[in-house]
Amino acid sequence: MYSIIVVPPPTTEDEHSGTYSAKRTRPQIRLAPGERLPFGRSANGNGLAIAHEGVSRKAGEITAQGAFWVLSNLSAHQTYVVENPEGAGEHIKVGPGRLDAPVPFEFSRIVLPAAGDLLPIEVWAPRHDYLRSPEGLDGATTTPAFSVDRTKRYFAVLAALCEPRLRGEPHAPLPTVDQVVERLRPHWPAASRTSVQWNIDYLAVKLRLKPGPDTADTGPRLNGKKESLVSLALRFDLVREDDLLVLTEPASRAAR
Amino acid sequence: MTEGTEGYAVSVPKGYRVGPWEVRDPIATGAFGSVYEARCAQPREGLPKSAALKFLPTGTGTPRQLTHLRELAEREVELHRRLTRPRLIRMFEALTVDDPDHPELDGATVLVLERAEGSMATLLDRSPHPPQGPALLAQTCEGLAQLHSAGWVHGDLKPANVLLMKDGSARLADFNMAAELEGTHAYTPAFSTPDYTPPELLWSEIGERGRQIRPSADVWAFGVLAHLVLTDTFPLPGGTPSARRDAGVRYARGTDELRLSPQLPDGWREIVRDCLARTHTERISTETLLRRVEEEAGTSRSPRLPRLRARRGRRSTLVLAAAAATVAVSGLAYGITTWAGDSGSGSEKGAGNAPATEKVVQASYGAGELRTDKGVPAVYRPLIVDSAHDCVQEDVTPALMAAMLKVESDFDRDLSDPANDEYGIARWTPRVLRWWIRSDGVTAKTIPEPPFSPAESIPAMSRYLCWIAPRIDAGRDGDRRVLIAAAYRTSYEKVNDAAGVPPKYRDYAARVAHYLKEYTPAEKK
Repeated sequence: MYSIIVVPPPTTEDEHSGTYSAKRTRPQIRLAPGERLPFGRSANGNGLAIAHEGVSRKAGEITAQGAFWVLSNLSAHQTYVVENPEGAGEHIKVGPGRLDAPVPFEFSRIVLPAAGDLLPIEVWAPRHDYLRSPEGLDGATTTPAFSVDRTKRYFAVLAALCEPRLRGEPHAPLPTVDQVVERLRPHWPAASRTSVQWNIDYLAVKLRLKPGPDTADTGPRLNGKKESLVSLALRFDLVREDDLLVLTEPASRAAR
Repeated sequence: MTEGTEGYAVSVPKGYRVGPWEVRDPIATGAFGSVYEARCAQPREGLPKSAALKFLPTGTGTPRQLTHLRELAEREVELHRRLTRPRLIRMFEALTVDDPDHPELDGATVLVLERAEGSMATLLDRSPHPPQGPALLAQTCEGLAQLHSAGWVHGDLKPANVLLMKDGSARLADFNMAAELEGTHAYTPAFSTPDYTPPELLWSEIGERGRQIRPSADVWAFGVLAHLVLTDTFPLPGGTPSARRDAGVRYARGTDELRLSPQLPDGWREIVRDCLARTHTERISTETLLRRVEEEAGTSRSPRLPRLRARRGRRSTLVLAAAAATVAVSGLAYGITTWAGDSGSGSEKGAGNAPATEKVVQASYGAGELRTDKGVPAVYRPLIVDSAHDCVQEDVTPALMAAMLKVESDFDRDLSDPANDEYGIARWTPRVLRWWIRSDGVTAKTIPEPPFSPAESIPAMSRYLCWIAPRIDAGRDGDRRVLIAAAYRTSYEKVNDAAGVPPKYRDYAARVAHYLKEYTPAEKK
């Protein structure tokens, strides 16, 4: 029943790779609505300890609030910037001492200034809901258990994965990650193996894919995460043939 | 578009013919299909003069949402074909529209259903707190009990899906989400109605076959429905569905208490509270619910439903205690959890055709927790893995259950050992299995008779292990999982008394430990 996922900054052993700094072995901390995660240099009383001299002992606190989250800046002098990595520079500033500032992005990166370094903490809010029907929100209507934002990059990745099967070959092999990168590059020049793989991992979180056989390190891995994502997406019509337009048209400016 | 069908999922012109039926006025629409009144133009034996036609747009000319609609239509037709009960709306026939000139209707599935006068939703709109509310709730509950005792889960109980007949009685309808139970749970498409969804399903994981649902999900929805009918408010606070959803999560996590409306009469308060228990294991069983609802509503006991309730014996108290213990632990499990991110995707190869995929799914099911190359029969993997996951005790793992099945029977589903009174893949003794065979924690009325199928044996084994796990004293020598296995063979008291595996069972425990190691994937050891 978690609603917010926090990905701590890479430690010195982690190598920095790509836009999303996607070291997939980094731990993720899942917060349920109402749960608080204090962070700071001190290992005492901080759910997330950041071992860096430039970070305050008690630097701040992240609190999950249902589908969104709030940030408290407990430092004395530093302003924290919360960026939307897909938002073309969209960001908010949370000044020192500000408590419970709401953050509206589905993906966020808190940038902590720390003695010349900038430490990113990623926060995902995968429970963001999107309008499904023109009638709007109604607690009495039967609705799918998940909703996706068709302007986000993860949707383009999902569409690219589903494309061969939507084009009429129900058992077509899925594109490889490299093929997805090639497919998306015309409208997403920065696409890379790492960023596409990051989006695939995020989709598994967003669609609440049951961690299944693909988490195996042994045995045949014929039924990977991509396969599960595509079968779920097609089964519940998350991607339809007319959605394949996202592959040939740039997504709306808001998503860039 | 026909007048009056604006916003309808399927628009059908008045006078349209489907088989012997002529469409009249629109009745209602749901998210997936639309219902029209129809009269029978070619009267035939067994068909009424008028009926309700439910159109589900499953044709290829339908522009959107084709895949899941077919599945939903098949579910509903399947349930009606296999199940007729007095409190479930009746289906007379299912037809397919063959009309190339109307591509938006061509291929649509049409269910010819008993005609109702209205629904609980329209009644509540017209008159909140209806005087016949308690009686209607009792009839609704009777419908649920009929469905559950036949082995099905409704999956989408809400006022719009309780229909009111001409004589004023209530019947359940709308079985798009209904699913037949496989052991303790069923798989339903991942759709739900937020205000009636139990907290454990709100953000539940969704696997290859949809999401797991138990009869207790319908019991939760009944609790919400009863509160709404009797007080005209939802039991969880909040002005919007998402505020109520978050309140539900806080309640389920134990950070908030349930505050039911003071308007709720005392007897109903207890019933609603027992329906809205935090976890599915704590919720009241459907049969007990029906008995209490009928008492409270002052309606006579339903004569049609077999009485399944046995007298509560000493052991059933133990079972309830077990459920309470499980709950205490699951409360803790909702804390902050840290986990390593997923590894990358598996192969770059495509899947084969559908049946092969099914085989592959079985062969690699739960491979992260149960090795695929050590001879655990693929056919039992989903059952072993899912049953272990049903238990919140972290020591009850797929590898432990597989190791025990190996040692107990060498995965022999037909094992029969009358000398020791043990049968089936998990070597259940019938009089012991009786306490664990039912998923709702209630003792079976009679001692079950062998043969015991794996679908009965394995989930029951998980339930028993889950009860044992918290009873093994901390600090005993050896792997707790092996102690749990030894307690399955003998009893948890004997293991605690011996402060470890009793000598008589050391050989058994050693063999379980051996296979436990063998079946556990490398990084889990």
